[in-house]
Amino acid sequence: MKGAARRWSQPEPVRGALADRFLDDADVWSDRVRSDRLIVAGNETRRMASITSAVEERSRELEARALILTGSTARNRRTAISDLDYHVIGRPPLVEDLPGEIDLYSDSPEQFDAKLRAGDDFVHWSVWYGRVLFDDGTVHDAAQHLATHDGWPDPARKLAQAQRALPFAEQLVESQDHDAALEQVRGVLSLTARWVLLAHDVFPLSRDELSEQVLHLGCFDLAAALDRSIHVAPPLDELGTGLRLCDHLTSLSATKARRARLPAPV
Amino acid sequence: MTRMSPKAKVDIARGHLTKAQADAAEGDLRDALQWSFASLEAAIDALASAHGIATDQQHWKRRDAAKMLHEQGVLPKDLSGLHGQLNEERQAVFYDGAEPTPEDVDIDSILADVEEAVVAAEEEAR
Repeated sequence: MKGAARRWSQPEPVRGALADRFLDDADVWSDRVRSDRLIVAGNETRRMASITSAVEERSRELEARALILTGSTARNRRTAISDLDYHVIGRPPLVEDLPGEIDLYSDSPEQFDAKLRAGDDFVHWSVWYGRVLFDDGTVHDAAQHLATHDGWPDPARKLAQAQRALPFAEQLVESQDHDAALEQVRGVLSLTARWVLLAHDVFPLSRDELSEQVLHLGCFDLAAALDRSIHVAPPLDELGTGLRLCDHLTSLSATKARRARLPAPV
Repeated sequence: MTRMSPKAKVDIARGHLTKAQADAAEGDLRDALQWSFASLEAAIDALASAHGIATDQQHWKRRDAAKMLHEQGVLPKDLSGLHGQLNEERQAVFYDGAEPTPEDVDIDSILADVEEAVVAAEEEAR
């Protein structure tokens, strides 16, 4: 007697969770693509759906290997500042004539594979939580590789990114350009949160979910600062305080950073 | 703690441009590109606000605004392409730690174009 067909379900955001997704079963992967497409259709407005349709059609015309919707729309956690993020494996289609909120990332198959093995978290994100709109097997192979090799984004990359981004963010706050400072500080807070999460074997989800995830780890100050940078526009002083927090956290080991609080001003 | 308050966009645009020029003169293309982008965005915000175009602190709306401002004769050049290019460059710096080289970017041409936007914003503010 034939057993019940296996179905795809999204992995929990914890290290190793891809390993029990039955990724060696081609039917499970087909089920993923089918269900991802349905979910995208449910998450998108008519305007977004028409953009996605155009990006897909053009990507297919260029014989791209795969197209993945990523980010907040894929997670159904859009905020006022969300773009429509796509990851194409293959030649990128022209999108200049489409409505502007598109962020299209492209990798050649070789780049995609190299980034995956180097622990690039964006590429890993596409495989874990992206909504796969079509795939010739490239993303499936990547998922199988991650599942069988305990593939995990490299936390050190996020730490380096956060540390590198800090000085310019500090200068922007000093310049009193509130809009630019807010975006840059939000970026540094997000990078810091992703580093702490990855270092504790938690997969960072979309930006609006990061504050809940770091709160769950016990990073109260980071959770609050990140949440406020997304949902309100904190004044410049508070943005400066957020950077001071990131500066402090990223000077510690990930274990210590998890429980660290904002130090008193010098 | 000193309380900081936002400055006028047009002043911010000039301040950022000055930093971009200084960084370019010192050969720091990473920061020169980041300041150039920030300056262009501030100048577009100032001009867009004066002409009733909403930018809502979103990059893609600023890019569209740059095109509209050119079509309305406010900006001598359509700087939407430059905006898109600088946005990509600064994302590469921010996320990938890219180290742009003079072979990758013509910083003098970028600074000249950004200055056109800044000057237009300053003239509008007079």
